[in-house]
Amino acid sequence: MADHILVVRGVRRVFGGVEALKGVDLDVVRGSVTGIIGPNGSGKTTLFQVISGMDRGATGSVMLDGREILGCRPYFVYQCGLARTFQLSRVFPQLTVLENLIVAARRHDRGARSRALELLERVKLEAYNEVLGSDLSYGQQRLVEFLRVLMSDPSVILLDEPAAGVNPTLRATLWDMVRHLNGLGTTFVIIEHNMDVISDLCQEVYVLSEGEVIARGSRRSVATNSCSRRISGSGAAHERFAA
Amino acid sequence: MLSKHASLASAAVLVVILAVAPAVLGEYYLSFLTQLLMMVALAQAWNTISGMTGYVSFGHATFFGMGSYAAALLLPLGVPWWACLIAGALVALALSVPLGFLTLRLRGPYFAIAMLGLNEVARVFVTLWVDLTGGGSGITLSPELLPSLTTSYYTMFLIAVAATVIVAAIYHSRFGLELRAIREDEGAAEMVGVNTTRDKLAAFVLSALIPGAAGAVLVMYTSYIDPAAAFAPAVNIQMIVMVMFGGSGTVWGPVLGAGLVMGLREVFWAEFPAAHLMLLGVLLLSVVLFLPGGLMALFTRRKLVRPEVAAGPQERPDG
Repeated sequence: MADHILVVRGVRRVFGGVEALKGVDLDVVRGSVTGIIGPNGSGKTTLFQVISGMDRGATGSVMLDGREILGCRPYFVYQCGLARTFQLSRVFPQLTVLENLIVAARRHDRGARSRALELLERVKLEAYNEVLGSDLSYGQQRLVEFLRVLMSDPSVILLDEPAAGVNPTLRATLWDMVRHLNGLGTTFVIIEHNMDVISDLCQEVYVLSEGEVIARGSRRSVATNSCSRRISGSGAAHERFAA
Repeated sequence: MLSKHASLASAAVLVVILAVAPAVLGEYYLSFLTQLLMMVALAQAWNTISGMTGYVSFGHATFFGMGSYAAALLLPLGVPWWACLIAGALVALALSVPLGFLTLRLRGPYFAIAMLGLNEVARVFVTLWVDLTGGGSGITLSPELLPSLTTSYYTMFLIAVAATVIVAAIYHSRFGLELRAIREDEGAAEMVGVNTTRDKLAAFVLSALIPGAAGAVLVMYTSYIDPAAAFAPAVNIQMIVMVMFGGSGTVWGPVLGAGLVMGLREVFWAEFPAAHLMLLGVLLLSVVLFLPGGLMALFTRRKLVRPEVAAGPQERPDG
């Protein structure tokens, strides 16, 4: 039986009269990369908001490593080992790159500075450690935001369209980091529109539409599902996805 | 930024000058310096919560006023002046915990307005409790109960130094980094493990202690207090103006801001009595418009982004 690190059951979120999530279930296997695809407005980011504690108005259950985290505050969820990035970069603009990383380390982590410098060096941003977040390019900001969540060595990382707005060079660096960390055992859940990325990285894919999971399974089974064909589109990208 | 050695050397020189000032200055200048040091302390207190976290308070005079009244009520009972000072700080501390818990749930202008309202509530409360506070007539203290001007000066000097040391310690600590992250983006800060409620409350409580103590010293220095003086909205405005002038969220900005604004006000008042407030207003407006980071921004230098490292064209996010 698979070892699930993140289990979401019947998560429902209503905004006024709009039901953004209609009882979503999600099972994320420890050490896997899980993709979430779906059209705009399907509830992908809302699901991340609920899981990470940024939105505490949902009902249902979110278990992280056997511990209920639904309704917990984001800092507590983070301390439990679940970190996330945002759809649009949210680096701290008036903090330096180094400070952006150190603030995300665990409170009594004496090695935070050296770890931050090591991470920056790995993505060739070490020359920027004293640069303010606001002075970075958008792609660099996204990369720093990604490095930031690595500072606490989380067991699960949620990435919300991490490659959006990132140039090809930095994008390749980002995916290399994801592969490397996944190889070391970190679990990823990725919202992504790029089917090539989903195809390349994810062992399991969930398709969300109008707040519901309409398909789930391996990338091949999802690709052949008639509902998800409409979501993932047709043509070369879809063929690569199905291959 | 100013180098660490330059900052420490400047601080040491300033402390020595201020420590020997009573030996060489007359009563007028000593009195002026006492007020200046009080403003340094108040500006640093405001900086601790508003400069660091971005929660702009228009109500810190509440703690100042409460500290004044605590001292004014205890001194006639025979309580030593230094104990009144501690009492002033403790009253402010006791008040700040529930107030911070309630008001820090609000953000932006809502917090600012809530704090402004709090200041008015405190003023009306003290005015109406005539039996205890003397109402609008205030409390006049007998001169024999009060410490000398030199003692008041040195006490205010120690409070200002303590306030600056507290701000410096916070600024360079992990706690300070968390506060600055809250100022930048509270949601993102919480998502990287910052317990924002705890940090904001701690900063708020620390920021209340100093005005409480300064208020207690002020009443010993002036020997009189009334609600209009204790809870004057002008005190709130002065704190904000001095921090903005010097540099919000920095260690030395409030010191610089308080020193220059108080000094210039004194000079303008002496040289241009009819237009001194207008001149000061124009100067403050100029700094806010052209140096939004305050005067400390002049001493800040940033490393430039090396363009060759930023490889490839940038794309726009697609949603």
